[in-house]
Formats: sequence, structure tokens, C-alpha cells
Amino acid sequence: MPVAASAIYFLNLRGDVLINRLYRDDVGGNMVDAFRMHIMQTKELGTCPVRQIGGCSFFYMRISNVYIVIVVSSNANVACAFKFVVEAVALFKSYFGGAFDEDAIRNNFVLIYELLDEIMDFGYPQNLSPEILKLYITQEGVRSPFSSKSSDKPVPNATLQVTGAVGWRREGLVYKKNEVFLDIVESVNLLMSSKGSVLRCDVTGKILMKCFLSGMPDLKLGLNDKIGLEKESQLKSRPAKSGKTIELDDVTFHQCVNLTRFNSEKTVSFVPPDGEFELMKYRITEGVNLPFRVLPTIKELGRTRMEVNVKVKSVFGAKMFALGVVIKIPVPKQTAKTSFQVTSGRAKYQASIDCLVWKIRKFPGQTEPTLSAEVELISTMAEKKSWTRPPIQMEFQVPMFTASGLRVRFLKVWEKSGYNTVEWVRYITKAGSYEIRC
Amino acid sequence: MHGMRGLSVFISDIRNCQNKEQERLRIDKELGNVRNRFKNEKGLTPYEKKKYVWKMLYIFMLGYDVDFGHMEAVSLISAPKYPEKQVGYIVTSCLLNENHDFLRLAINTVRNDIIGRNETFQCLALTMVGNIGGREFAESLAPDVQKLLLSSSCRPLVRKKAALCLLRLYRKNPDVVNVDGWADRMAQLLDERDLGVLTSSMSLLVALVSNNHEAYWSCLPKCVKILDRLARNQDVPQEYTYYGIPSPWLQVKTMRALQYFPTIEDPYTRRTLFEVLQRILMGTDVVKNVNKNNASHAVLFEALALVMHLDAEKEMMSQCVALLGKFIAVREPNIRYLGLENMTRMLMVTDVQDIIKRHQAQIITSLKDPDVSIRRRALDLLYGMCDVTNAKDIVEELLQYLSSADFTMREELSLKAAILAEKFAPDLSWYVDVILQLIDKAGDFISDDIWFRVVQFVTNNDDLQPYAAAKVKEYIDKPAVHETMVKVSAYILGEYSHLLARRPGCSPKEIFSILHEKLPTVSTTTIPILLSAYAKILMHTQPPDQELQSQIWAIFNKYESCIDAEIQQRAVEYLALCQKGAALTDILAEMPKFPERKSSLIKRAEYSEADTAEQSAIKLRAQQQTSNALVVTDQIPANGATSPVSVGQLSLVKVPSLVTTENDTSTDRALSQQNGASSKVDPQPPSADLLSDILGPLAIEGPPGATVQSEHNAVSGLEGDSDAVDGSAIVVVEEQTNTVQPIGNIDERFRALCLKDSGVLYEDPYIQIGIKAEWRGHHGRLVLFLGNKNTAPLISVQAIILPPAQLKVELSLVPDTIPPRAQVQCPLEVVNLRPSRDVAVLDFSYKFGTNMVNVKLRLPAVLNKFLQPIQVSAEEFFPQWRSLSGPPLKLQEVVRGVRPMPLPEMANLLSSFHIMICPGLDPNPNNLVASTTFYSESTRAMLCLVRIETDPADRTQLRMTLSSGDPTLTFELKEFIKEQLISIPTAPRSPAPSAAPPTAQPSPQIPPNDPAAILAGLLS
Repeated sequence: MPVAASAIYFLNLRGDVLINRLYRDDVGGNMVDAFRMHIMQTKELGTCPVRQIGGCSFFYMRISNVYIVIVVSSNANVACAFKFVVEAVALFKSYFGGAFDEDAIRNNFVLIYELLDEIMDFGYPQNLSPEILKLYITQEGVRSPFSSKSSDKPVPNATLQVTGAVGWRREGLVYKKNEVFLDIVESVNLLMSSKGSVLRCDVTGKILMKCFLSGMPDLKLGLNDKIGLEKESQLKSRPAKSGKTIELDDVTFHQCVNLTRFNSEKTVSFVPPDGEFELMKYRITEGVNLPFRVLPTIKELGRTRMEVNVKVKSVFGAKMFALGVVIKIPVPKQTAKTSFQVTSGRAKYQASIDCLVWKIRKFPGQTEPTLSAEVELISTMAEKKSWTRPPIQMEFQVPMFTASGLRVRFLKVWEKSGYNTVEWVRYITKAGSYEIRC
Repeated sequence: MHGMRGLSVFISDIRNCQNKEQERLRIDKELGNVRNRFKNEKGLTPYEKKKYVWKMLYIFMLGYDVDFGHMEAVSLISAPKYPEKQVGYIVTSCLLNENHDFLRLAINTVRNDIIGRNETFQCLALTMVGNIGGREFAESLAPDVQKLLLSSSCRPLVRKKAALCLLRLYRKNPDVVNVDGWADRMAQLLDERDLGVLTSSMSLLVALVSNNHEAYWSCLPKCVKILDRLARNQDVPQEYTYYGIPSPWLQVKTMRALQYFPTIEDPYTRRTLFEVLQRILMGTDVVKNVNKNNASHAVLFEALALVMHLDAEKEMMSQCVALLGKFIAVREPNIRYLGLENMTRMLMVTDVQDIIKRHQAQIITSLKDPDVSIRRRALDLLYGMCDVTNAKDIVEELLQYLSSADFTMREELSLKAAILAEKFAPDLSWYVDVILQLIDKAGDFISDDIWFRVVQFVTNNDDLQPYAAAKVKEYIDKPAVHETMVKVSAYILGEYSHLLARRPGCSPKEIFSILHEKLPTVSTTTIPILLSAYAKILMHTQPPDQELQSQIWAIFNKYESCIDAEIQQRAVEYLALCQKGAALTDILAEMPKFPERKSSLIKRAEYSEADTAEQSAIKLRAQQQTSNALVVTDQIPANGATSPVSVGQLSLVKVPSLVTTENDTSTDRALSQQNGASSKVDPQPPSADLLSDILGPLAIEGPPGATVQSEHNAVSGLEGDSDAVDGSAIVVVEEQTNTVQPIGNIDERFRALCLKDSGVLYEDPYIQIGIKAEWRGHHGRLVLFLGNKNTAPLISVQAIILPPAQLKVELSLVPDTIPPRAQVQCPLEVVNLRPSRDVAVLDFSYKFGTNMVNVKLRLPAVLNKFLQPIQVSAEEFFPQWRSLSGPPLKLQEVVRGVRPMPLPEMANLLSSFHIMICPGLDPNPNNLVASTTFYSESTRAMLCLVRIETDPADRTQLRMTLSSGDPTLTFELKEFIKEQLISIPTAPRSPAPSAAPPTAQPSPQIPPNDPAAILAGLLS
């Protein structure tokens, strides 16, 4: 296994060290200074997450107001290091109950040290699963010192958890009401030219599950994906239903999914861990349903005036609606005055990001709100600098809509005792980097 | 700024930002706001405008781009109220630079303010113009500013600013002072009582005189007066004294201005100035207070610079050096640093070097200072002050220091030590010792140049070779040696170890085994050198040693398959050559002498990065190499004080042991004597001119070393010149030309040298010029040995070569001065372009005391020097002879009036011209057939054939036939031989038979035409 980290630092935005842990001796103690000098105080901050300074590699990531910096001196596996950071943050979040920021780190530093010792050894990542770690790192965050129940839990058996047949699920769980929640969350990445042709488009999706099931249930999930459907039709020797089938790329499953059965029968069957987990991830590049179309016209009238007209068209079903739509229309740096006319929502000029920001809280399907703005520019000394026209950016959430068209066909639960279960399915589509050139 | 709440809120917002990102967001927001406000149609109230422009300035000062709002800032300048005007001026001068178009809009407003009555506005305007005024401002505002500066009604505050403003305008456009009588007005300005105005005006004056001092002579006495006033601390208001020092800034500036005048002629002014300088020098001491120290030292160092510039009396100089000596002994590192740096600068002034030498011990201690910058300064100073007398001490000190020196300094240190050793070596073996020690101690820091150089010296000096070989053997015998040492040793032992062969432990076998031990430890760059060394050792082994041979062949065999191409090639070639046997001796013959070239070390030292003080040290070195150019430009009387060190860098000064063993006490005595002499003279002269007149000849007396010598060695002194020299100290002797009689016959010496390659070319009571020549094809290398026979230096030495058309002659640098009893070598490169009998002439002149000697000497670079004898067999001779038929390639002439001599003698004579007699080619015993090869650039190697038919009956006539592939060559060679046969060459005088009377020759009767006819019949 490759080395992931020689040292890990948690810094606040000013560059002060909140917590650090050295795993190996091959990096010096003044690494933070180097990071501060060469990365944080330069314009490069945020442009490239991997930088090499004086023989050491710095991998950094910003999470809310904390920089997590990994320093390695050897030829490390960068992906492994970033995965480690992401997983560690998820772990911390599940320990603190939600937020991961400077204050949370300050309040839980003892716990964090304990966890850091556990999740990495001599630079090699170890078990990062919150369920298992919580069994034997029992100290809980400050969030719930009084809500912790009396010690009626079974004596944790760490060895069994790690080595057992179903390492991710405890035995003997009992729920009064057996429920399964299944969310399909997709984010759409788009780059569209000003003419409306799609330059780049893909969807990354994940299926999140929340299980409250007794015993050792066996679940089986059916989707309208191409391989599964074809296999099914083969097995049942009847022609596939004429419906939309989705081709999934890069499918990744949670470790609980039985891969042998997936390979032979192309069905997703698994014994779920208790609580919340991510069942699978996938990517789709073909046949994406774009939720919005943006038609911008931006005219520069002389040196000091601009006219901006933007029409946004929602192309999903009329019964559905998008939430939290934000459209950011870039304007030149020397923008002085703006005046707007919008058919819905509100718009304003934000000087700090040099954008006209148009917000629509609730955006019904099959509508076409427009914005027209007049922008006045101030004359500057440096005339040469022409405006680069950065793309329009968009943020949104569309519930009960999947850009890929993925649907859950069935979710079967089978348990020895044969209890009834309630299954809940939700869909949501979000904007990833949704950009339209203008 | 009171009451601008928005501004203070904004500033406190910025200050409260947690990080840079927040700050940027806040600033962008504010900039957006400001843009919005400026764009407001309704316009802004002056208050708002002022507030936003202040904000812009604040943002700009935080480092953000502010590329708008300049219009607003400029428009504020014309506001009627002070607060707005102030912000307008300030922001404009911060945000805009002189090339901005916006500034044009402001010129008129600014002018109105300047000519207006309001003093505050005048100040604001002048300050802004003084900061960002450009050419256009200079053109339109200069007269107004000048008026303000000169006006008597203005307050000093305004005039002060006007002076500085004018300075800026002058820098932008030097024409602004091209006003009639400006120099006089400038002089008037210097009469100003107010020190503030005076300081500003002085800044202006410094700029003016730096460009053109001629126009401002009238200011000079005034400057001195100001200095006098300050130094006496008369009438200096309390606010202009800084820690008790009256306006140090003005003092420094005034002294700086004075340095731009080449000299001070008025004796009164000069005396006053020197009194002031004396006062400054006396009054400065190291005190506790840092600020006071800084101020007083600033003044002091400027005074030192002025003293150096003005070429003050020796006494004052020595006082300066003494002061600096005190400085370098102080504990405070800054002061020590300044002391050393200024001492290095002082080296530029000729007289003081001896005084500086007195502090040598202290300087050497500074080499061990904990502060690296001080160590560097000390090193520079040592480097700069080194000359023949102290080279040994200094270099040894540097060598000692090398082992403990900082790693960062070692390279520089070793380079400098190598240069000094090369330049001032009293004898060459010492030089070799030093360099070998250097390599031994700091091998890693020795660049290749250094060891190349030592190899060059060893190769070029025959007498050095055995010594060097023995020495490197000693070093390489040690168990662990540096690779560079292995390289040097391998080279030198390969070339010259056979010279040691008789010594114990130096048999070829032993040398080989010592070298071979090092082979496994060296890198691929050294192995080729080792291989060459092996081949040479093998070649020199006489009688051949089978065992050694098989060992070496085994090594070559092994490296024949080496992956490194260079090593492989050498191994293969050497192996093949070794097996050739006899041919090896020719191919692996000793390396030829290297052509003299400028030391690459010195070149390197010149190119290397250097700061001012170091530069002065390097410059000093450079000047020592060429001439005392400095002395001439600075109008210091050309004296011999620098002479002991001013030697061309190529030629090693071979100083007789007398000088090197001279003890310090005698030097000191000489110094005190000199000092005594000059102080005796001092009070007498009424004017500075006279003073320098008297000092002039005094200085010609030469360096103290020389005078001491002349005293000490009065007995051994050659002609009692020393008396004459001493006399010249007071009496100015008229220059005499060529009153010196040469010793020996110049003509004879020349003829002898035509046949020999070394000998004396010229000699007179003062100098002996020896010559040593080497010829190789059409190239020749002559070395002139200029030997000073006296105990006083020869100065103004000049040697000019007047070459004939066919020769290209390059004379390396001839030093201006030849130190007493020293010999200087001047190498001379000769290239023969085409055949001709013309002779090069050396125009040599020197000055001894006041005697100017000039001689013109023929250089023995004659035709026969480019001949190389060649043995031609009959099979080669006849086809050649036949192929060259008739004029102009073949010329025949009957020569009459030949000095009668027997045939063998004639043969001898010819072979002394490098013309080889080929016996047996001509059946007639009375005929001579000879051949030779002539080398020149145009003809390359050209075979020449000679046939001389003598008449046994009449020895005074003969027939000569010459043939070669080049018509000029044939003609020239014929004429040359004819000249030699007719005239009476001196060379054959030495062999006994030359004295034989012509009548004594036996004259067998043979028909004169006979032999010719026979040969002609045979050949044609």
C-alpha cells in the first residue's frame, strides 16, 4: 500500500495550526511555514491542490474554514491521500454531529488526536469506518455528553467487527418499525457555448441509503439500467420492455454489495450496514436531461455601457419545481452602476465576485423568466485589458427529477423473520458546475 | 481627516479582517461602491469626493490595483479648500507617475498654485512636482520654481522645497538650468544663512556639478566656507545639530559636491578645506551612542573620500589610515566593516599602501571575525594590499586561514590566494609550493583553472620541472589525496618524473605504483590523465622494464573496453603506440611550451560578482597590470611608489633575495625618514602648486624599499646612481636622452643572435635585455628578459615593436616599471607571413631617474629562423630540381667578392642557417648541394634546394643556384645567402678556422665552368 501522508495539518484561514500530527520523520517541523509562505500567501491558493515545495509535496483541501494539509516527501499516492482526507472529515463529522469547522476542531481536539492515531499508522491509512471506530473509541464529542445512554451496549468486539463475515453490521438489531430510505442524488456538470450547443456534459450520481431494519436482512435493488435489464430479460427469456434504459459508467459499490452475484446476475444485492451509508456511485455521460437552458445576450455598448439579457428556461415537467436557483452573470471589474428588470426573483450586483446575481427561490417547470440589466462601467486607466467574458454559472436543486432518468424499479427486503418493511425513495438533481458561456 | 466616518469605518473593517480573503472581499465591495459613487450623475459633493479618494489611496497602499478615479483625484487639486487640495495632491503623486497623460491636465493648476500667494499651496504643489514632475513639468514650471528659489520674500520652507523641486526637474530635463548666470545665482544661494535651504540647494548643486563642474567653479570656495562654518560650529541653530554634530547631512553633501571638482587651486581655499578635514578627522571617535556614531561616521567617511580625491599630503593620508586602523580594531562590527571597506578604497590612493601594511596583523585577525561580511572585506583588503614585499606573508596567512574558513568563502579564498601567489611569487618554486598546498587543503574548491595554471608554469620553466615533480611526488605519497592533486601529480609526474629517476624512491616503477594506487579512487575525468602519465612513464623508462611494460599494457588492455569514449580512445591509442616502439618517443615527447596568455584566474576574478570595495581592489589589481593610469588621471605626480607591484601579470618578478629578506625595521626607518622629509618641506611652500612640484620629484625617488636598498647597498650599488637619485629629490634635473652608453657592440650581439637562439641583445649600465627564442614552423616565441641592474626602479619603460610587413609580432604587456634588481619577462609571439629579409625593430625606452634612454634594436627574427634543415635523398632531389626550371622559381647568380673560405667552413655556415648539406648528390667535390624547408603563413612548408658551385681557383667567386616553389622565396633566400657569404658574419668567428687569412686557402686549379657544366649536364 502506498504512503498517503508523512504529516497532516489542520490550519485555519490565517494559516495558524489548529492540530497537527506527524506520522513519519521524513518531513521537517517547519512545513507549515513553507505552506503559509508559498501557498497561502500567494495567488496560487486554490488553483492547484497539489504543490511541490523543496522536495516535499503538499496536498491541501479546504473544508469550510479549515485547510487540511497533507505533507509527504516520498512518492505518495495522491488519490489515496485525498480519499483519506475526505473519509477522515466524514468520520469527524459523524463524531461531532454535523459541522466540521475551526470551532469544532478546537472543541474536540483530544478526540481528534485519538482518531488521528487510529486512522493512520506510519503514513498508511487504516480503518476509517465510523460505525466500527465508534465501537471502541467511545468518547463522544461535546455535542452529547448527557445524551449518551448508560452502558447497556454489548461489549464491543473489535476483532469480530474487523474479521467477521459481515463486518459492517452488528447482529441482533431490533427495530419496531422496519424502514428503508433510499435517495438518488445527482449533480449535473455542464459547459454550454453561447450558441446553446453542449460542449461538455455529465452527471455524477450516488445512491444514499438509510436502513432501520431488524436482524440480518438481505436486500435487492433493481434499477432501470441497461445491463441489469438486459440480464433480466435474458434470464426470463422475454424481450426487454420498451422503456428508457440507462447506461451507467464507473459504478462503485459499498463494500456490503455482493459482487459475485452482481457479476453473475447483474443484480445489486446486499446486507446493509445499520444506519446511513452510500450504496453506490455512478457517472453518466450519455442522454442527460438538462433541467435548464440559459440564453444569454450580452452587448457591450461603447466603453462604459453594457446590456445584459438572460433568459432561463426550465425544461423539466410543469408539475415539478426547482429550488434555490442562483444565476451568476459575470460583469467587468469596473462595473459602477447597474439597473435590473426581472420577471421573477431578485437580482443585484455583487462587487466582491464581479457578478450580477439573480436569485429565484422557487422555479416551476416549463417557465421562462428573463432578466435584463443595464450596466454602467467606469472608465479606467488601463484600457488595454479586454474583458475575458467568463461563463455564467448556475446553482439549483430539482427534487424528484433525475437528470440521468434513473429510476428505482424495485427494492426487495428479505429477512428470516419475514417482517414487513416500508421503503421510501427520493430523487434529487443538483447543479455541479453548470456553466454557460456568454 | 476629521469626521470622515465612512473612511474610518472602512479602515477598521479592513483591520478586523481575519484573513486575506475577507480583506479582498471587503475591498472589492468598497471599490464597487466607489465606482458606483463616481458614476453618480448627480455628482459628488467635495466632501464625498475627498472621502472616496482617500479610500482609494488606502486601498492602493494596501497593494490592490486601483485603475480608475484618477480624474477625480486630479480634479481635487483645483479645489479651493486646503483639505481637498491636499488629498488631490497626495493621491495624484501616489497613484500617477510622470508619464501619465492625466498629469497634463494638472499642469496649469499646479502652476497657478506655485505662482500664487498661498504658501501652503505652494508647498503642496512643489512637493508633488518634486515627486512626480516629468519633462513637461520641467518645461513649463522651471522658471517659476527658480524664481521661488531665488526670491528673498519667500519663507525658507518654500525655498527649500523649490530647490528640491528644481533638482527633480533638472534630472528630468537638464536644460532647465541653461539660464544666463545660473551658476552665479547658485553661488549666491550658497551664501544662504538658513541651513534647511542650504541643504536642499546643496543637493541641487551636487546634481549640477556631477554633470558639469566647469560652470560652477565659483561655488567651490563657498562650499568650503560652508564646511568651515559647520566644522567650527558657528551659527548653527540647535535644530540643525544632530547629537552635537552640526548638520551632518549638509556636511556630507558639501563634501560630495567638492569631490566633483578635479582639484582645488586656490591655496587659501585649499588650506581652509584641509584644516576642516583635519578637524573632522581629529574630532571623530567611536562613541557609545549608535545614532551619533552613524552620523559622525557618515561625515568621516565622506571626508576620507574627499581626502583621497584631493590627494592630500602623506601625513593626512597616514592620519586617515591610522584612524581606519583604529576602526578595524573596534569591537562594534559595523564600524569594523566600514573601516575595512574604506581601507580597501584607500588602496586606490598610491601613497598609503605602506601605511596600510602596518595594519596587516589587525586585518589578518579580521579574517577570523565571526561576521562573514567582515571576513569578506578583510579578504578583499588583503587581496588588494598584497605586493611583492608582503605576498609571502599574506598568502601563507590565507593558506592557514583556508583550513578554518567558511565553506562559502573557500572558493573565493583559494582563487585569490592562487592569483596572489602567481602574481607576486618571489620565486617559482614558492609558487608551486603554494598552489600544491592550496590543492591539498581545499581540493574541492580549486577550479580547474588553478591547476592548469600551475602546469603551464611548470611546463614553461625548465628549471622548475624537477622541483615540481619532486614536490608532487611528496604530496601524492600521502594516503588520501584530493582528486585535483591526483590530476596535477599525474600530469607533472608523467612529464617530468624521468628527471628524478636517479633519486631514491623515484624509479619509474615506483612512480607508477604510486600513481596507480590512486586510480580506483578517481573519477572518469582523471583516468585519461593517468593513462597519459602511464604512457609517458613507460616511454621514459630506460632501459625498458619488461615487468612495468606488461603492467601498463594490462591496464591499457583493460580500459580498451571502457564505456567512457575518451578513456577508451586513449587506452587503444597508447597501446598501439607502445607497441610501435621507437615512434613512441616522438609522439609522446615532452609537451611544448604554452603560449603566454592572460591568466584565466584573473579574468575570472574580474568577472566574478563584486561590490564596490571589492571592485576597487580588483580595479587596483587591473591598474597594476597595465600602468598607473589612476596616477595620471588624478594628477598625482607619477611616482615610483606603486612600482614594486606594478608588474605585468604574466611575467613573474624574480626579485633577488635582497628584497625579500629585507626586514621591517629598515622599511620603517625609511618611512619615518620620508615622513620627516616631507614634513620638513611642508611649511615652506606658499602655494599648493609648489608643494606638488616639490613632492613630484620627491616621489620619483622611488619606494622606500628602493631607497633603503640604495643606502644599505651603497657599496654594492653599481654606479652610485643612488646619489644622483637622492639629489634629484630637490633639484629638478633636465631630462637627458640617450646619454647612456651601451655595453658591448649592439651589432655584433644581433649577428650572434641570428645564429643562436638565446643571448644578450642589449646591455647598458642600467638594464640588460636578454632574449630567448624558440621556433616552430612559421611561429616563433621570443622572450625578452628585461633585467634592472640597479637598486632603483626603472620607470616609464616602453617597448614598441616595429615589425616589417612579413612578420606579425605580438608583444605582451610590458610593465611600466621594473622594480629594482628585478627581471621581467616579456613574451613575444612572432608569425612569419611570407618570405622577406626585412628585420623587426624593437624601440625600447625607459627612464632612470631623470635620464631618458631610448634605443632601437633589431630583433633577431630573421629569415633563417624559419628554415628547418631537411635531408633529401637523390631520388627526391632530382625530380624536384627538374620540375622547378628557370626563373622565377629557379634563379642562378654568379657571386663575386665572396669572403674566401674552404668548403667545409661554407658547409658549416650554411648549416648554421639551418640549410642542410646533402653530401654525395653532386659528384663534383667543389660543389655543395643543400636543402631546407622554409615556413611561412603564405607558403606553408616549402622545400628549397641550393646548389653552390665554387671555383677552387678563385675562392672569391662562386655560382649559386636556388630553387623553390615560390618566386619571392627563391629570390629572398638567394639574396640572404649572398649577403651572408659576402659580409663577414661574426658567428663563425668563434670557431678557430674563421681567422684564417684568405690567402692561406689552397687553390687547386680547376676550370671554373667545369663543375657547373658537369652538374648541369647531369641534371638538365
